[in-house]
Amino acid sequence: MPTDRLHVELGQERPIPLAVELECASGEMLALVGPSGSGKSTVLRAIAGIYTPDRGRIDVDGETWLDTRAGVRRPAHERSAGFVFQHYALFPHLTALDNVLQAMGHIAAGERRERARRLLERTNLGGLESRRPAQLSGGQQQRVAVARALARDPKVLLLDEPFSAVDQVTREKLYEELATLRRDLSLPIVLVTHALDEASMLADRMCILHRGATLQTDTPLVVMTRPASPLVARLVGLKNIFEADVAGHDDERRLTHIRWFDRVLEAGHAPRFAAGTRVAWSVPPSHIVLHRRDRPSRGERENPVAGEVIRCVPMGAMTAVALRVVPGERADLFFSVPTHVARRNGVETGAPASVSLLADGIHLMPVTRAS
Amino acid sequence: MPIVPSGPTDGTFPLGVSPVRVLRFARCLGRFRMMLPTLPRRALLRFAAALFLGLPAADAAHAAQDAPLVAAAADLRFALDEIAAAFALETGRSIRIVYGSSGNFRRQIAEGAPFEVFLSADESLVFALAREGLTVDEGVLYATGRLALVVPEGSPLKLDPELADLAAAVGDGRVRKFAIANPEHAPYGRAAQEALESAGAWAAIRSRLVVGENVAQATQFATSGSAQGGIVALSLALAPGVLGSARHVPVSESMHKPLRQRMVLLKRAQATAREFYAYLRQPAARAVLGRHGFALPGG
Amino acid sequence: MDSTALLLSLKLAALTVAILVPAGILVARFLAAREFAGKAFVEALFALPLVLPPTVLGYYLLVAMGGSSPLGRWYEAAFGHALVFTFDGLLVASIIFNLPFAIQPLQRAFEAIPDDLRHAAACCGLTGAQSLWRIELPLAWPGLLTAVALTFAHTLGEFGVVLMVGGSIPGETKTIALAIYDRVQGFDMAGAGLMSAVLLLLSVLAIGVTFLTSSRHREKRRHAD
Repeated sequence: MPTDRLHVELGQERPIPLAVELECASGEMLALVGPSGSGKSTVLRAIAGIYTPDRGRIDVDGETWLDTRAGVRRPAHERSAGFVFQHYALFPHLTALDNVLQAMGHIAAGERRERARRLLERTNLGGLESRRPAQLSGGQQQRVAVARALARDPKVLLLDEPFSAVDQVTREKLYEELATLRRDLSLPIVLVTHALDEASMLADRMCILHRGATLQTDTPLVVMTRPASPLVARLVGLKNIFEADVAGHDDERRLTHIRWFDRVLEAGHAPRFAAGTRVAWSVPPSHIVLHRRDRPSRGERENPVAGEVIRCVPMGAMTAVALRVVPGERADLFFSVPTHVARRNGVETGAPASVSLLADGIHLMPVTRAS
Repeated sequence: MPIVPSGPTDGTFPLGVSPVRVLRFARCLGRFRMMLPTLPRRALLRFAAALFLGLPAADAAHAAQDAPLVAAAADLRFALDEIAAAFALETGRSIRIVYGSSGNFRRQIAEGAPFEVFLSADESLVFALAREGLTVDEGVLYATGRLALVVPEGSPLKLDPELADLAAAVGDGRVRKFAIANPEHAPYGRAAQEALESAGAWAAIRSRLVVGENVAQATQFATSGSAQGGIVALSLALAPGVLGSARHVPVSESMHKPLRQRMVLLKRAQATAREFYAYLRQPAARAVLGRHGFALPGG
Repeated sequence: MDSTALLLSLKLAALTVAILVPAGILVARFLAAREFAGKAFVEALFALPLVLPPTVLGYYLLVAMGGSSPLGRWYEAAFGHALVFTFDGLLVASIIFNLPFAIQPLQRAFEAIPDDLRHAAACCGLTGAQSLWRIELPLAWPGLLTAVALTFAHTLGEFGVVLMVGGSIPGETKTIALAIYDRVQGFDMAGAGLMSAVLLLLSVLAIGVTFLTSSRHREKRRHAD
């Protein structure tokens, strides 16, 4: 195992349950995603040393920061973890420059000021060194927080929902700056966020956390389209989650057939589920195609499903649609179409409609009773 | 050398804190400038430095006060102040006097209070201390005290050495408050109670009593206008501050047990204390006591 | 004006502040940062002198420090003089009855500092002591000033405990509050009046400092938002 990797294992029952295992390589950004209360901040704090779990092991760049079994526990001020807090936690009585200087105790006294100034320039804060946090905007404060975290020459950079406190416009600017900064940093970066889109945009890999347990860690694309379980599927925002039985596999065409109520659907090939097994399956809205009266297409032959529109909500350019496929059952398909298409095809509440479910979007998962 | 407390006199602070450390602390205050953006920093620092540096100076000021401590009954205040001044003039030595209730002193001395001479207003207290082995000997009678009925100007009370009017005055509401010293531990308070009982006024007046912690405080109450009168030490009734604002009459001695005032040297008494003790029995001192209304033993 | 008594009082107040406030800072910071079983009890204990009658406190101090107590006897053997009826005893008593005046304002001030600031300091590599000196104390300075002002003023004015434990010995334990009492008994109203005016002035100054710093601090915060 390359030694500059961050490796974290945590276990605890009370007061905050934790069952975490994750890794992050140098130069990689790992997003920790989960609903509030899932323990994401706790994991970050455990890595930084400001929270101590009952059991755990944390290794960074060849150093063991925590090993409860061996009784090793390095206090926070001896770990070099750069932490950006959700509300920045800037020292209000110090200027931006002094804030950054606080993290430079490991640097020779003569060099500190110059390095701090350069760091502030790098984070686009040139000229603002002598301002106090109260005299800085939200975005500028966030940059000072990042500069201060980097000033430590840390072995790992930890960001705790760093964009949640700023407005949308500022946020997008900060995304860009972080992406740029990343290029020069060769250390593991762990970003905590509850916003899936932020995670998919910024991170190399995403880890879904629920009640302190790491459920699935993979690239955002894989996690969002091939969730490991119905719970993960729900957590990444998939709404179309159903159960079916495996009818059989077609290895030649790389398809698996599943029986869903009275239909047989063609799903992506998943030979690991034996025929006859009950499975859960999901399909993202992007793989649900409306059968259009004005422009019929060949794709309509793939998994055609007809039903009744039970909800139709125009939201600007797109219209959200819920299609009840099996009367009496709560088997509703959620998808969206451009509003002009909905109008032209008579998609409205109570009207019949049919869609195609693209086979490679139908993803099979084991049924977990607990979810 | 004296076993008397050396705390403020030897140039160090109590508990062994050295002035050097204190000065360094005062310099550290300078680093607090980061915290005091809105206060006049320099003024504050100067004040702090002055305080810490000035304290040893204050110590030096009463380094001369190795003067022995004398515990004196409250009724002796003006008489003893005069005697102490004369003593200082004659011998060049000074003493420090603490006035209070004799009963209180007896307790404090038993607990180790650093007095060297005790002038009690009640000789039984001296005997008690002698029995406990805290004194050099059984002491000597230095005066017999007298009670006085004192009324402030404008009071409706009649002055009578037998306190005849008192019971009646309570009855018809002329007296709403009456001051005496605390009978529990002040000899003059106890004597006042005896006198009131002899006059048959105790039962009526006890609910109207204002009790002073010692006879000096009782005199304060009696003459300040908060009470219509009181029974206090004659020596205090004769005091300059009281004479002008109140009238008095000595209470008949037959009405209470004699106030035999005894003084004694305590075991830790040193040279100056012993000198003062001897001085108190000289004619000059006795004359002062006589002028302040005390009856003197031996003629 | 009994300048010996005034200087004695000032010395007692200054030393009480010098000893109690630094210790109070450590205690207050600990209480502000940690939760532990029995914390409420400990806090109540420190707050006790606020409501305890001074004579009750004086009584227990006499019992604990008096000439016949183990503590009293040890002290006499170690330092050559008793703890009661001396300045040292007054200092001990003063430190005890000023505990809430020093600890409470400091604890409130430390509690007002967001936890994340302490955490951020640790993540910057600052040790506990560095964090206290550079980050927490500068932010808690109104509380510090209040603690100093209140402790100072309260010590100047304390009467009951001082009388019981000290014995009103001139130059040793006769503080200005006792001197005023003594002057009144000696019918020297002018002297008593002068000393009372001085004490009144010092008390007003202390309260003024406290209110000024807290209101200035509040103003600054308001403008910052």
